[in-house]
Amino acid sequence: MSPIASNDGMRPWRLLRAALCVFVAVCLLSPLVVVLIISFSSAPFLQFPPPGLSLRWYMLLFSTPAWMNSLLVSVELLVPSSILATIMGTAAAYALVRGRVPGAPFIMACLMLPIVVPGMITAAALFGVYRGLGLNGTLTGLIIGHTVLNLPYVVATVASALRVQDARLELAAATLGAPPWATFRRITLPLVLPAVLSSLLIAMILSFDELIVSLFVSSARVRPVAVQMWSNLMGDFDPTIAAIASVCFLFAFLVLLADLALRAGRSLRLT
Amino acid sequence: MTRSTTRRTLLAGAAAAAASPFAARAQGGPDLKGTTVVFASWGGAYQDAEKVSYCEPFEKATGAKVVQDGPMNPAKFRAMIASGTPDWDVADVTGGFLEVGIKDGLFEKIDTKLITTSRIDPRFVSEYGVGCIVWSSNLGFSTTAFPNGAPKTWADLFDLKKFPGKRTLQDSPTASLEVALLADGVAADKLYPLDVDRAFKKLDVIKEHTVFWSTNSQSQQLFVDREVTAGVILNGRVYDAAQKGAKIALSWEQNIQQVDYLVVPRGSRNRDAAMRLIDTMTLAENQAKLANLIAYSPTNNEAFKSIDPKLEPWLCTAPENTKRGLVLDQAYWRDNLKKLTERWTAWKLA
Amino acid sequence: MRPIDRRIWLLLPATLLLTVAFLGPVGWLLARAFTFPQPGFQNFELLWQRPVYLRVMGNTLLISAIVTPIVVLLGFPVAHMMAHGSARLRRWLVFLVLVPFWTSLLVRSFATAILLQRHGVINSFLIGFGFIDEPLPLLYNLTGLLAGCVQVLLPFVIFPLYSAMARIDPALMKAAATLGAPPLRAFVRVYLPLTLPGVMTGATLVFISTLGYYIIPALLGGARQQMVAQLIQDQIATFGNWGVAGALSLVLLLATGVLLALLQLTVGLKEIAR
Repeated sequence: MSPIASNDGMRPWRLLRAALCVFVAVCLLSPLVVVLIISFSSAPFLQFPPPGLSLRWYMLLFSTPAWMNSLLVSVELLVPSSILATIMGTAAAYALVRGRVPGAPFIMACLMLPIVVPGMITAAALFGVYRGLGLNGTLTGLIIGHTVLNLPYVVATVASALRVQDARLELAAATLGAPPWATFRRITLPLVLPAVLSSLLIAMILSFDELIVSLFVSSARVRPVAVQMWSNLMGDFDPTIAAIASVCFLFAFLVLLADLALRAGRSLRLT
Repeated sequence: MTRSTTRRTLLAGAAAAAASPFAARAQGGPDLKGTTVVFASWGGAYQDAEKVSYCEPFEKATGAKVVQDGPMNPAKFRAMIASGTPDWDVADVTGGFLEVGIKDGLFEKIDTKLITTSRIDPRFVSEYGVGCIVWSSNLGFSTTAFPNGAPKTWADLFDLKKFPGKRTLQDSPTASLEVALLADGVAADKLYPLDVDRAFKKLDVIKEHTVFWSTNSQSQQLFVDREVTAGVILNGRVYDAAQKGAKIALSWEQNIQQVDYLVVPRGSRNRDAAMRLIDTMTLAENQAKLANLIAYSPTNNEAFKSIDPKLEPWLCTAPENTKRGLVLDQAYWRDNLKKLTERWTAWKLA
Repeated sequence: MRPIDRRIWLLLPATLLLTVAFLGPVGWLLARAFTFPQPGFQNFELLWQRPVYLRVMGNTLLISAIVTPIVVLLGFPVAHMMAHGSARLRRWLVFLVLVPFWTSLLVRSFATAILLQRHGVINSFLIGFGFIDEPLPLLYNLTGLLAGCVQVLLPFVIFPLYSAMARIDPALMKAAATLGAPPLRAFVRVYLPLTLPGVMTGATLVFISTLGYYIIPALLGGARQQMVAQLIQDQIATFGNWGVAGALSLVLLLATGVLLALLQLTVGLKEIAR
């Protein structure tokens, strides 16, 4: 019970709070609802409310090679980049939290940089350096970029899970003669596994949605979904984009449910 | 008919017959299997039409695959050439950019062994590009916004009292400056060289009320959303939007005509296949197909025969419309595009 | 036990990747500011001299400065409800805030554009209920840009605020009430100061995110609302001017860095790592 809610003098404030919450809820959800509805539109333009309903945009989506290719590219991109980021990030978080590493806070801060530095700067920098290496327009170039962008999320998530966990468990195992790898595999990993999986999911979603680095580094032959959507929005403005957005939304929704289940597994931690 | 002419026709026919296997080879059988050609254009309805009219026949004839990219953007084009390996193999560019690109060496030379340029009206054949369509910038307006009479002239576009509502202009000085000067009373034959200061001063009148479009689909969307009531839009896009049920019409008064060219970016990995895609575009039947879809005029005069007569009033090359139009000076824009683009950007932000 | 253990090697892959694929390239880009087209400070002189650049940088700061308080004011009641409402309500709110957070920025931005159209949902609603007679211009101007930013940034302020509020001991407010403080005064004097770290963290995150935005101003803003990221993109893609792009990036990074340093001094950065 809220300490404020118990007091009757606060009634107008409580009403204001409720009203603002509803307002925020509407702000957050209405765009998603609009996209879902428009994806079933029968009109050739992005028009709301739609004059009629149809499945033509979904049909167009699934019959257009450009969209299907981009979906394939996105999968080819998000699978390796999220796995690489998860492995590298988990290893780094483990070393930083459990190991005695000189300058650990500094290294941690550096690993967070890819989220802090504006995407446009990272994108321009990678594009510039890739030119000399012939990596622009290649899957490799995209995977490298996405792995770096995903790294901070993994490091932060896993590090915070490791911090909560009792290091003495590992110490005890080590004292009892367990080799380090066995300690990690038998004690540490099972305890942080939900966090690791959760960060893998986050990395997958982020990689799927990432636009700016992809925009600079991709090409017509190697083009992930987000870039195809951008190019559709710039050039076509028809409801196909709403259809693909709804598909993505469904995908994100499922992943979010999976993640909430994982988080529930280690008691809901939000911060 | 005299004997000699008959013989000449016969001879010509025989020569054509003899040449045809060779021509067929130049046209190519399905010998390009496994080749992917990237085709960049302006997106939306126009590129859809190009896909059906040029790319699909090309795919069928050669076995190659065409990947669509866009929207075409001169800056992106330039950056690609600078990087050494352009991603695009064929690009659809405006006449102004063709001239700039020739000056800056952005294109591969047209290979006349692979492209039968004689099919195209000689006015639209350049050493570095082959004209594909003739189009015009028109005054487009909402058919529901002005019950007491629609705007007709460019001056009406700037008359916010008589024709209230938001305006739209292309986010580019090309044609926009011409529109402003024509609206300000400059005669069509006295337009060039443009009085740039005067043009910007005139544009100031509607600047606060203008939404700028950067792609043609946006220009259509702005009218569909009724975000704007009048503005500069291409004739084919008005046709397409009207066909799809949008409440939009156009005026032909002082329409500004331009030509689009297909070019091959310098350093294209598939130069020969790219040239052959351009060759497919030159065929009359393909050009007619495109015109029937989006009302842009063909550059192969044979194609006019196969265009639906209902489309005549929508074509900028219809005698009635040409008479009222003027042709954009590509040479002027070749020399001034860069400078004026910078000024345009600064003006927009000020 | 040895002072440095072998686990330090586990850091190698991540730090190597970070150096080669992030720090190196960004450093290269920033170096362009001083070396392209020739060594010197001419790019910074250009930033200073050309009114366009200054205007865009000013715009960007102004927009961030407007967005931040709006987001904090709207996020506050939601976080409050989350922290002090029932567990059921909290779950719903978390879900509500997370779902859009996990949907792509691009999708949400263009959906917002559809809502804000001249004859879009919001204008039809306002006209239908007789609040206005003529549709309001909501899109391709400052309003559209703000709506887009606020919508996207709300979670960035709700979560830090929630975590600050959840830590506040309810007994404190009871104590204030017992000591005779009227509720509003107790709220302002006791509760609000305790949420300050959350407010600062959220506000800083919102501010620095807005500084670097590209997609939202490109889709929802007008010609006047151009922001620095768009200018950087223009410089590279349109003009191939790596020098000015580098200089603009440096300015943007410095602004971001200064704000983070301020946050570190006042609250401590650990708050951010959630």
